[in-house]
Amino acid sequence: MTIEALRAEDVRKVYHSRGSPDVEALRGVSLALRQGERVALLGRNGAGKTTFLRITSTLLLPTSGRIEVFGHDVVSAPEDVRPMIAVVPQEGKPFFHLTPREQVYCYLRARGFSKEVARSRTEEALEKMGLEEVGNRLSVTLSGGQKQRAMVATVMATEAPLMFLDEPTIGLDPFARRAVWDMLRALTRRGSTVLLTTHYLDEAEALSERLYIVEEGRILFEGTAEAAKRQIGGTLRVSIENGGNHRDLFVSFGQTVAEGTSLHVITEPERIHEVMDIALRNRLSATVGPVTLEEAFLTIVGRSIDAE
Amino acid sequence: MAIGLKWSGSGMFLATEIRVQLHEWLAIVTGTLTPGALIVFVAILAPELLPVTVIGALVYSMFLIGQRVLNEAAYIRIDHKLNELYHASPLSPEGYFVGIAGGMLVAYLPPSLVLVVILEILHPLAPLGWLVLAACLIGVWLVSSTIGYVVSTLFKDMKTIWPYSALLTNLFGILPPVFYPLGKVAIEWRSAVLLLPTSAAAALVDAAAGLDPITTNEAILAACALSVEAIALFAFGIYWARRTAREP
Repeated sequence: MTIEALRAEDVRKVYHSRGSPDVEALRGVSLALRQGERVALLGRNGAGKTTFLRITSTLLLPTSGRIEVFGHDVVSAPEDVRPMIAVVPQEGKPFFHLTPREQVYCYLRARGFSKEVARSRTEEALEKMGLEEVGNRLSVTLSGGQKQRAMVATVMATEAPLMFLDEPTIGLDPFARRAVWDMLRALTRRGSTVLLTTHYLDEAEALSERLYIVEEGRILFEGTAEAAKRQIGGTLRVSIENGGNHRDLFVSFGQTVAEGTSLHVITEPERIHEVMDIALRNRLSATVGPVTLEEAFLTIVGRSIDAE
Repeated sequence: MAIGLKWSGSGMFLATEIRVQLHEWLAIVTGTLTPGALIVFVAILAPELLPVTVIGALVYSMFLIGQRVLNEAAYIRIDHKLNELYHASPLSPEGYFVGIAGGMLVAYLPPSLVLVVILEILHPLAPLGWLVLAACLIGVWLVSSTIGYVVSTLFKDMKTIWPYSALLTNLFGILPPVFYPLGKVAIEWRSAVLLLPTSAAAALVDAAAGLDPITTNEAILAACALSVEAIALFAFGIYWARRTAREP
């Protein structure tokens, strides 16, 4: 039987502030996560991702809508929800005057774990996040990436049934990012559910089983990364240097996206030779590559912006 | 208000805060500079007022804990966003508030203990005097911690908070008769002054120590003001902690 970790129905949030117009941050967001899933919430800055995460993690009240975590209402019963969740806040930092070891251990103890469990989980989390060597140094002396890893280690060590991670790998080097990914995969194998936001689309693709694309408080897309890529009408991308002025030549082959002076043509494999032929005849340099999630994201969000 | 209070984990959060503060031992030491300097001035200028000043320094130190609560709670909320880590956890909002307030109390207690030793040398108190001192200091801690916590939730950047932090300390700790006897205050101002928790505490302890007598009515006013403020504000602090754990 599939257990639903999170269900949100028609969640709306309007921020009121004196002297300025109301801001509608969420305009009817509905989504559901099954237990053990890793799901990414993608969107531009200000799309509503953090607002949604803060509402689901009991830190912010919605204006309307219903949200349940493992069947418990987030609005009316936050005290039932809180033991089941853990949050990596956006731009969160560990206590500067604690060591990463103290930070993780103290947080686990405050959540009610026994000394033995807190100790063993602390060591495990520090090891997995590559923080053993700096585990006894005050966090104030650590690099930005190490501080971020300490935050992620703190939350992951809880092994909470539902984890919210708001840009958890920001500022991390590629090795550290992969360490976070591995840890998240291990946690979901053990039954935890993960909802994360990220601006690294390669991360969303590598890590999440499903993704939601949010724009201006609405969900534009729900599905796998592959399904998102299929939405843009091709599987290959031809990037044509200085092709921006020759768009008309390529529009019949599929979707065209201008980026600076370059032009990207999204098309199918059987039409690649024709596109390349036209590019070369016009003395334009062109390269071929697979369509990326970033292109799918730009297309899906771009379509929405154009529609407005 | 007391119904449904949840304290699970607050002891560990309190211990966390003590650890944090003890790593910042220099701040603990420098916290003693103002009362220490005032004690030195009084020792030079009016040595007969020294016991009153030491009692004032104890009350001031307790009020200063509220300033520490204000700065710490604001810092971990605004700069570190750690409040989100704790609010989205089984630790209750009231446990979080009491954890910060209690952590500051324990961490900043050693300088106060030094003052207690000095007081014992200068002017030993009778058991009743110690009891009144302890009760008044707890009252001041409850008031100042609550004010500190509540104020910390009202602003969105640290720079805005600093002036309020200094203002509160001077308004409650330096200006009213805390370091000097209530007897120096004009008679028509005394009742108003005794409504302030810090001067009420200082006046009660000074009177219990036989250093600066006050009338029975003044003692009742001071005791009632301090206890009502302490209980009411602390209850409000718990309500406020719950309310601000989740933004509207």
